[in-house]
Amino acid sequence: MADRYAMYIDASKCMACRGCQIACKQWNDNAGFIPGVRETKNVGTYENPLSLDPETWTRIRFTEYESASRGLQWLFLKEGCMHCGEAVCVDVCPTGALKYGPKGIITYERELCNGCGYCSQFCPFGIPQLDVASPLTGEAKSSKCFFCQDRTTNGLIPACVKTCPAKALDWGDRDAMVAKANQRVGVLKTQLGFPEANVYGETQLGGLGRIYVLTAPAEAYGLPKDPKYPAISTLWQKVLQPVGQVAFGATVVGAIAAFLIARRNVVMEEVE
Amino acid sequence: MSVRLRGTDSTIRIQWIPKYTSLERLLHWVHTFTFVPLALTGFVLFAPWLQPVAQSEAGIHIRTLHRVFAVFFGGVPIVYTILQPRRMIMNLREFLSFSRYDVLWLKGAIPYYVLGRHEDMPPQPRFNTGERLTALVMVLGTITFGITGLSMWFLKGIMSPVLFQLMVFFHDLMFIVTFAMFLVHFYLAVVHPMMWQSLVSMRYGVVSESYAREHHAMWYYGEQRAQEMWEQRHAEGAH
Repeated sequence: MADRYAMYIDASKCMACRGCQIACKQWNDNAGFIPGVRETKNVGTYENPLSLDPETWTRIRFTEYESASRGLQWLFLKEGCMHCGEAVCVDVCPTGALKYGPKGIITYERELCNGCGYCSQFCPFGIPQLDVASPLTGEAKSSKCFFCQDRTTNGLIPACVKTCPAKALDWGDRDAMVAKANQRVGVLKTQLGFPEANVYGETQLGGLGRIYVLTAPAEAYGLPKDPKYPAISTLWQKVLQPVGQVAFGATVVGAIAAFLIARRNVVMEEVE
Repeated sequence: MSVRLRGTDSTIRIQWIPKYTSLERLLHWVHTFTFVPLALTGFVLFAPWLQPVAQSEAGIHIRTLHRVFAVFFGGVPIVYTILQPRRMIMNLREFLSFSRYDVLWLKGAIPYYVLGRHEDMPPQPRFNTGERLTALVMVLGTITFGITGLSMWFLKGIMSPVLFQLMVFFHDLMFIVTFAMFLVHFYLAVVHPMMWQSLVSMRYGVVSESYAREHHAMWYYGEQRAQEMWEQRHAEGAH
């Protein structure tokens, strides 16, 4: 798709230093450690934190993987919002906090969010994170990566890309990033001994805003092989909601018409 | 009760028949005055054109209000079950009783309610076909809202996303069904000129003898007698 930005993520170069996580938090002013609320705990793995959270919009997922060609490997995947070409989160958001922004960026306006959490539950990748202030009242705010919109719309590259010391990340025109990824996969397959190397994100969900170079099948990284736009969302928003509104309107109009006719026909003297 | 006609010595004697207990009336109104705000606050997330109201602090407060009303709405059947279990079972049984007269009622309903033609309306028990259908939809709706609403409230992020999506879908589907039914119920019970006593009965718990005779003959005369009268009336009409 023309006129879209994309982030190039080369998993074969990533060394899991997690500088991208730190740069993301630093630029976006997200807390890394809040005593008593969000504390770093050693759970016996290098992976930290163990999942995305409202203050962590990108992180490195660690997966052990064994293949016939290369034996046991450690796979590193930079997680974060995929900025889908067909973004269900935008469609289900009742507030307009999530939008298709400039150049394919799925933007997020925190002030508009009312915390319904539909985005977090409909996203095929489970990316948006809900910061729940009170489970009882439902007060919450959603959060996710918005490709450093304040930087990228002003000619800068995202903070995570800028900080990556391994040059595993790149940023630019999506077509160029796709071409770069395909070229890199060719090199990995033919020259560097990664027969399972592949590009992920080129075609999925209208084309993702993250173009991954993977050295193993997507499922090995914990990515859905063929993510789908949730059918329930289409049925809910494109069928049920319009039908409901028409039904309410028709019922009200029908009742008014019935009343006007009944008023002329009903003889009140006969009414018990 | 006797009513003296103004300016005359004539009096009319009205006999009132109890239809609802005071608890039933109270719970009916709690149900009504929680259902309507629930529908309105839910509609904010349902209708895309209400997006400005769903945003920011307003949206957060509306979602909180929806939960507050939901607690009282859900409390109605629980209180009824605890305080008047036998009445509740009796009513449920009546709601679930259908006969061939209900088909005739449905056929005759539009000519009756729109054109005022009384002749084709068959005898009905304490609740007519429309009332029973409305009640059943509300019972089904309350159960569905309870399951889907509580799941969305407390199990978000715990239940699988697909299950959550189904909960949202069925919550909205049941909203459409119950709210459309509510609009019809409101029109017939409050607005329709022939049904003025239904509102009276939900206010005072009684209907007049003449209203019961006309609208709920099976309740007033008993099932067999009302059916015989209906058959006889039809036989006479055929000649």
